[in-house]
Amino acid sequence: MTQANGWIGTILRINLTDGSIKREPLNMQDANDYVGARGLGTKYYCNEVDPKVDPLSPENKMVVMTGPLTGTAACSAGRYEVVSKAPLTGIIGAANSGGHFGPELKYAGYDGIIFEGKADHPVYLHIDDDVVELLDATDLWGQGVHEVTDELNERHGNVRVACIGTPGERQMLFAAIMNDKNRAAGRGGMGAVMGSKNLKAIVVRGTHGVKVARPAGFMSEVTKARTMLQEHPVTGNGLGTFGTEILVNIVNEVGGLPLRNGRDGSYWEDADDTSGERLNETHLVKNQGCFGCSIACGRVTKIEGKGDLDGFGEGPEYEAGWSYGAACGVNDISAIVKANFICNEQGMDPITLGSTVACAMELFEMGAIPESDIGFPLRFGDAAAMVKLTQMCADGEGFGQTIGLGSYRLAEKYGHPELSMSVKKQEMPAYDGRAIQGIGLEYATSNRGGCHVRGYMISPEVLGIPVKLDPLETKGKGAMLKTFQDLTALCDSTGICLFTTFGIGLPEIAGMYREAVGSDETDEEILLKGERIWNLEKRFNLEAGVEKDTLPPRLLREALPSGPAKGKVSELQTMLADYYEARNWTADGIPTDEKLAELNVTY
Amino acid sequence: MLVKFLATYRQIAQCRSFELPAPPTVLALMEELSSRWPEFRELILSKDGTDKGDDVIILVNGRHIEHLDGVSTPLTEADYVVITPLVAGG
Amino acid sequence: MARQLVVDPKKCVGCRTCELVCSFKHNEEFNPRLSNVSVFHYEEAAITVPIMCLQCDEASCAAVCPTGALRRNADGVIAHDASKCIVCKMCVNACPLGNVSYSPAKQKIFKCDLCDGETWCAKYCPTGAISVVDPNEVPDKKQQAADKLKAAVEEVCA
Repeated sequence: MTQANGWIGTILRINLTDGSIKREPLNMQDANDYVGARGLGTKYYCNEVDPKVDPLSPENKMVVMTGPLTGTAACSAGRYEVVSKAPLTGIIGAANSGGHFGPELKYAGYDGIIFEGKADHPVYLHIDDDVVELLDATDLWGQGVHEVTDELNERHGNVRVACIGTPGERQMLFAAIMNDKNRAAGRGGMGAVMGSKNLKAIVVRGTHGVKVARPAGFMSEVTKARTMLQEHPVTGNGLGTFGTEILVNIVNEVGGLPLRNGRDGSYWEDADDTSGERLNETHLVKNQGCFGCSIACGRVTKIEGKGDLDGFGEGPEYEAGWSYGAACGVNDISAIVKANFICNEQGMDPITLGSTVACAMELFEMGAIPESDIGFPLRFGDAAAMVKLTQMCADGEGFGQTIGLGSYRLAEKYGHPELSMSVKKQEMPAYDGRAIQGIGLEYATSNRGGCHVRGYMISPEVLGIPVKLDPLETKGKGAMLKTFQDLTALCDSTGICLFTTFGIGLPEIAGMYREAVGSDETDEEILLKGERIWNLEKRFNLEAGVEKDTLPPRLLREALPSGPAKGKVSELQTMLADYYEARNWTADGIPTDEKLAELNVTY
Repeated sequence: MLVKFLATYRQIAQCRSFELPAPPTVLALMEELSSRWPEFRELILSKDGTDKGDDVIILVNGRHIEHLDGVSTPLTEADYVVITPLVAGG
Repeated sequence: MARQLVVDPKKCVGCRTCELVCSFKHNEEFNPRLSNVSVFHYEEAAITVPIMCLQCDEASCAAVCPTGALRRNADGVIAHDASKCIVCKMCVNACPLGNVSYSPAKQKIFKCDLCDGETWCAKYCPTGAISVVDPNEVPDKKQQAADKLKAAVEEVCA
């Protein structure tokens, strides 16, 4: 049954409307062309679903897909992807997650799962090798992520669980799918799609193996990549020691940490109070690795002696640390950790949620939201109000329901859509596109809306990996971003973690890929698959009716008031022209028929 | 002049930041830090001692020295220097 | 030379790379269920512990084996000879630490053999939580206590 090419060779098709469960051979042509995980999941999705579909309707589908390296000893190869049209944005939503769930799915004998339709009552999918069944989840409906994960482990023993909390059940627009309790397929509302299908959880246990095409060559490539990661200061030491939250200080020092919804620029005197250094001193229990990962950036954290805030869990990552910290002007690290715990325990995207609270704070302070709507004052810096509102959002209570709309719909409701710090209705993460020009271009062009992990320009612009670019300049950003986006699409699609790219590059990723699948393609031919994936996603978005590539007016018009980038706005138009040229698209940012034919993107 | 340390450099310096009279250049500052805390030498200076090490980021008033004059960047009392090992996140 | 695996749970980050490389080394497939080493996760305590055969001096598995398939070799490893094994699974029951396993899928007995040459779980462990030592060179606890005392004395005198 298991193929000797990184793949199992089998896809599960679950129709929740009629309860049918089918096994299909993996489409190997598409697997070769679109790599796996993000790319292959998107290809399956695009083949089968009308781009105009309502994301929360039974006509929508949800694809869970692993990559050819998932579950192998390739560095940090514990990833899987959830692909569907995102309810928050109305464009393609591909959310990637680590932990141990993805590999377990392959060990059970399946490369991916396609969910169709809608169950007429709450169900969960139980996979135990060859046993695949839909079971009643009526008694689990209403449970949080940690509770349901424990319950299903009790029930089935030693299983891996991906599930939704109550926000997902209510189809809240940025509900996440959580696996292994604290790992998230976080952005765009994949949890809402799952909830709309009455699907509470996917439970999996597997006893089979994954084989590769050229075992000796594969281990040689794996050893090379792992050695490079171990020897690199970021992946061998920095990320494990401090986690991603270590970025707070340095991003702040270059003047790129958006403060109070971006209203007050992007340099914060209090940044150090919310830093990775501070988190280590206050709440860190230990660091932890996802499956097969030597980087081990995960934070096991605990809050003690803080009354209502007390708790145990993981995180925050840098982005959540920022959304609840600088974005809300909150310098209480315990409150930030707590708000992140709530997001994990109920399955919500903390970037969108924290940013939406920040947006509401600005609207409240300018008088656009009356206190009577919220029930209490909501000023920047109010840690208690922030935590309370996060819990209200998790519970769907009072003004928490409005927060659950995300910042765009909230700001629009109160007459100020321009104050939503979002692109294509998804909140931008923790870097200011005025101080770091290239990341602004990434936000504007990302195929899933405001997002940093489609082409992480912070690497060259702030950290100097692999080369140092001046964050205040625009020159060369378009071409560099195109390369980063294509490489990221490739990396995500293989099943390894994007963080490996701090220490390894295309030669190592392509090397492991070749030996696993048994390919003799060149590095360039393999990178081209990343470009193919990018163009397919873009093509879907155009059919779905994507908004134009732009940034919130604040970034284009309001000059930064202080810091090293004082006086700067985003010079987006200049960079966009370079970017579209680098992509060989039209001046309006449309992939030409020639480009699509050259890449063999059929849609 | 204020120098601020980030990440593991705080453990070496046993402080978050400290004041010192401004050395003439960034290189002179690196040398001064290395003589004050010998552990810094191989971390922040290149092997031959003429440049910064590969795995250190130095900001002067929030600007990477790569975009200024490198280790020759002149310093004055009003300047503010941040020194950090290469870290990343996302 | 005798070799012994030493586990330091304090260093373990729970990534299970050891399970992956062990199963691959012995089966040419990545399959944690076929690994001779298993990592156990204690969530509340935030501790993960890798467990594998410790090559006992008084090895119950070898003692109970009716066909002599489990025997200590020149390296001090309790080696499993599949050609002599009748898969009666007595060894699986006999090991008090659960470090001899049976695979229903492969219908075979498997246990740690410290690998030929480099021991892969130790080689690929990113944090040094698993290491191979010469039992004669295992740091003596008495020595470690003496080191601590010396440091304390130095501090007091300084």
